Amino acid sequence: MCSASRRNILELDGVDYAYGKRDRFIRGLSFSVGEGDFVGLLGANGSGKSTIMKLASGLLRPSAGSVRLWGRDLAAVGHRDRAKLISYLPQTLDINVPFTVGELVGMGLYPYDIPPAMTVAEALEMTGLTDKADARLTDLSGGERRRTFIAMTLLQGAGLLMLDEPLANLDIKYQIELVRLLRKLRLERNISVVMALHDINMALQFEKVMLVKEGNLIGEGSPENVLSRSMLKQAFDVDVEVRRSGNEGVYISLQDHF
Amino acid sequence: MSRAKIAALILIPLLIVLASLFLGPRSINPLALDGVEREILLNIRLPRVLVAFLMGAALGASGAVLQGVLRNPLADPYILGISSGASLTAALGIIGGLTFLGAFTVPVLAFIGALATGSIVGVMGWKRGGLWPERLLLAGVGLSFLFSALLMLMMSISTDEGLRRAMLWIFGDLSLSEWKRVPYGLGFVLAGIVLSATRAKALNALILGDEFAYSLGFAPHRERFILFVSVGLMTAASVSLGGMIGFIGLLMPHIMRFFIGSDSRMLIPASALGGGALLCIADLISRSLLPPMELPAGVITAIIGAPYFLYLLRRKDVLSI
Amino acid sequence: MKNLLFILLLSVVLPCSVSASEAASGPRRIVSLSPSTTEILYAMGLGDRIVGVTNYCDYPEEAKRKPKIGGMSNPSLEAVVTLKPDIVVLTKDGNPKEFEELLHSLRIRTVVFFSRRVSELPGGIRQLGSALQAEEGAEKLAGKIERDLQRLEAASRRASGASRQKVLFIVWPEPLIVAGPGTAIDDAITLLGDRNIAASAASTYPKYSLEEAIRQAPDVIAIGKGSGMDMVEVSRGLISRMTSVPAVRYNKVCYLGDGLYRLGPRIVPGIEELAQCLERKSPR
Repeated sequence: MCSASRRNILELDGVDYAYGKRDRFIRGLSFSVGEGDFVGLLGANGSGKSTIMKLASGLLRPSAGSVRLWGRDLAAVGHRDRAKLISYLPQTLDINVPFTVGELVGMGLYPYDIPPAMTVAEALEMTGLTDKADARLTDLSGGERRRTFIAMTLLQGAGLLMLDEPLANLDIKYQIELVRLLRKLRLERNISVVMALHDINMALQFEKVMLVKEGNLIGEGSPENVLSRSMLKQAFDVDVEVRRSGNEGVYISLQDHF
Repeated sequence: MSRAKIAALILIPLLIVLASLFLGPRSINPLALDGVEREILLNIRLPRVLVAFLMGAALGASGAVLQGVLRNPLADPYILGISSGASLTAALGIIGGLTFLGAFTVPVLAFIGALATGSIVGVMGWKRGGLWPERLLLAGVGLSFLFSALLMLMMSISTDEGLRRAMLWIFGDLSLSEWKRVPYGLGFVLAGIVLSATRAKALNALILGDEFAYSLGFAPHRERFILFVSVGLMTAASVSLGGMIGFIGLLMPHIMRFFIGSDSRMLIPASALGGGALLCIADLISRSLLPPMELPAGVITAIIGAPYFLYLLRRKDVLSI
Repeated sequence: MKNLLFILLLSVVLPCSVSASEAASGPRRIVSLSPSTTEILYAMGLGDRIVGVTNYCDYPEEAKRKPKIGGMSNPSLEAVVTLKPDIVVLTKDGNPKEFEELLHSLRIRTVVFFSRRVSELPGGIRQLGSALQAEEGAEKLAGKIERDLQRLEAASRRASGASRQKVLFIVWPEPLIVAGPGTAIDDAITLLGDRNIAASAASTYPKYSLEEAIRQAPDVIAIGKGSGMDMVEVSRGLISRMTSVPAVRYNKVCYLGDGLYRLGPRIVPGIEELAQCLERKSPR
């Protein structure tokens, strides 16, 4: 891994968290994200991917341990300043408000008094929504809606994007385009991305993955190392074969199950 | 937002204000005023139109804010029980014949009742460091029932005469408008509108949900609290100025969303202007329908408002926040 | 079960009907369901036969000590039945029609006082008298009221040829509620030869337009008595907003008692009080 020389922009250290009065769900969680990292957070339903992302972006407050952004204690960063460093895009977008696409994307500028370099038009163009600028959110398809929120998040211009299942209900075309777009932005604008994922095949295309089970990280590193047959069995409780072929890249085979 | 729309938003309410100032069962020609006409215009109609506009503006703006804060298209400023609290204390003053503050007794009682109710709803809606929309809504509905019942109780043991006066007040009574009421009404209503308008971005973000609001750099609970306080101030001021006026708080934000969209930065001022204008029209009608008798303006807003609301209900998209 | 109910019912109703039929001089136990009929019954000399009155029956003083049966619009059936009345006196406007039907279903006799206007008062009293078999007292009272009304009309300003004044009778100042057409007050103003400016309003006690009240420029403003409230204090704000009208300018604003509010024997002193107010020329 080449991130050894990069500085860490997100550091979680010994984080505990419990929902309500129940038992601790997350115990002693520690991990870091380096500048320019592109990380897939992989795990079964209910494994704690969302909880980890919310803890990292401050939406949930850990009962023990620390979260640091660019070396600063997250709890000590003001709300607007934080919004310029990290943005969290929730998984569910069941929003029935007839904001227009342009209005909604424009909300990405709310943390700023002086708008940053990117404009609403650019954000719309990047996500292929230019001709939908005046459409109402309520008239969009699930995929268009998802891209609208991605455009808002991009416009917000934070250095670290925490995207909770951003590929859900996107057509494969837009899944590929979104991942390519984010990779391109990582290079152009030096942003880092942490993305919760369901799709193991997609995760295999990432440089770095983190595998989550019951609130704990059970593996971290390159997909080749982490997404082994035994690890996947442990995380997803299913036996799948990981195949590598020179021409077709890496993929998991479901052949044995049908 | 086109310039034409902005111009219409300012000009139409202005024309309506002028119309309600000079028209009526007897119109006043401002170019040919005799002594009585001048007195009627300056000391009766002008404060009345101003109070009507302030009340309507407060209801329109707080409706727009509250529908967003509660993320509920059916919310209106009265749903929080603020008006039933105000009605209860006002009726106490009217039926009990209290006059310790002269002509200000009933308005002050209503204001106290409204603020006290708002505070109770706030306390009930508070949990784990913040206000929660569902809790606020349910607390408001619960308190409304309680206060309405107490009001009924008080009315059923009052004299028929006291009952009638209390009813007239509760249905909204603009005939009490005088200059003395304008400054404090203006103060609270303007404070509420300005306070909420400066938090309009936060309101937009809260409408998307607390997680979005947080991610966009707002503290959801703090913003919701500020917006709730501004709604409380505006509603309390409005109820205390002239009783309960139905439908403006619920209806006007929906009409305005239809014309200018959902962005709170425009919606709050537009709903205020529209609400003020609607109440001025309703008051004009209430004065003109059966002269020289005056009908309760609150009844007229509901009679104009309800059918239009039902018509909007038939149209797509409008009934959302 | 049905039989039991019937017996129970009889035990309540029977004693009354027996005593009613036994008594030669008419019903012995009367319940009055309005303050005005209570006053009329006392004036007819039937005060000791009244066994129940409403919560608002406060005149004469003895009426306050009679058992109470609730309000006018919401009297308690149970309270009335418990008093075992031979007859219940209702009014046409003040009491619910359904209540009369309920009384009939329990075989309780009723009589409805129909008068609404001043001119109908003597007739209403005579009708009560015949229903209560107290014709003599009724005739005495009705005759006296008729003579008093004639005397007042004869002495009125119209009779003396004075020009008609415009009068505003305020029932409540804020909101402005005034006496409109079809009220005893309107009758009294007309009888005295003046004109009620609210006579053309759409209801008996309309909420009246303040600007119209100012435009009409009443020569006299009469303010009625509110229940236990200082009307001078309550009216201060309104009067201060009407400084341009002649009544306020020439200090012809008077505060009256409640005589005109009750169509009964005190209507005569009520009209006399109003007449004094209307005839007042110089400032207090």
